Amino acid sequence: MDTKINKLKEIDKTKNPFKVPENYFAQFNEEIMNHLPEKEIIAPEPISMWDRAKPWVYLAAMFIGLYVTINFLMKTPGNDNTTENRLANQQTFPASADNTENYWSTVQITEEEFYQYLEEQLIDDSYFDYMYHHYYLN
Amino acid sequence: MNNEEQLLEELRDPQTSRNGFARLVSEYSERLYWQIRKMVLSHDDANDILQDVFIKAWMNLENFRGEAKLTTWLYRIAINESITFLNRKRGQNHIALDDDNSFLINTLESDPYFDGDEAQKLLQKAILTLPEKQRLVFQMKYSEEMKYEDISDILGTSVGALKASYHHAVKKIEKFLSEPH
Repeated sequence: MDTKINKLKEIDKTKNPFKVPENYFAQFNEEIMNHLPEKEIIAPEPISMWDRAKPWVYLAAMFIGLYVTINFLMKTPGNDNTTENRLANQQTFPASADNTENYWSTVQITEEEFYQYLEEQLIDDSYFDYMYHHYYLN
Repeated sequence: MNNEEQLLEELRDPQTSRNGFARLVSEYSERLYWQIRKMVLSHDDANDILQDVFIKAWMNLENFRGEAKLTTWLYRIAINESITFLNRKRGQNHIALDDDNSFLINTLESDPYFDGDEAQKLLQKAILTLPEKQRLVFQMKYSEEMKYEDISDILGTSVGALKASYHHAVKKIEKFLSEPH
């Protein structure tokens, strides 16, 4: 026999066609609790004083390191760039003819040797040839 | 503090978690069972899946952060387990299509715990013609009479999309039922 239903409403929703064995849910609940695997209870490890203080110690060490580094950099002569220090430097090395003398006292070669070296470089670069042709032959 | 918050607190405390879980099982086992049963149809399969659901929930209680409701979390586990089971069954029956549930008709007919009349049987056959997700939506709304908002939380689909899906499901089922069988 053909079964034809025009609307879903025609089917009785209150009748549940799916059945379960008698007392199923009560038995299931009991059974599942009996078969539940044991879980290891991990007690939280006690936190030592050092563990508590560690972040603060690291923070303090970082600031000390930063302070020492900044201090070191400020005292390096090459980086002495504050206005006061610049003025002090100017006072130490006044702009005068003595500067040249002071300079040659710091280099390892003599003044004559230095000019000789410069001349050799200019000859090597044919600079003298160019000057001769430019000024005397034209 | 509401009932769910109390239960959560009990579950999180290692000293009371087992008692709390017993309370959770007695509160949710029936609802979850029917959700699973409507998906897999056979009582024996539903029973096995329900056991797996509670074992998984017990083993993963620490991972439950309370962002969703406990019910939502449990329903999600139940649905995932049911879908995994159906996919495994399809594999065993060499069915390639994810939405092909025709093999479940035999399960239904051989299940001693199904005693529906012809109309009920026809309705179940009609439901089995629906794609997996539409079937899920239909079962939750029609059989379990759940709110769209709750279904939306569980399936992660908007209420609008759920309403549309349910509407299409009803149309398809009514069309199937009105045809001579």
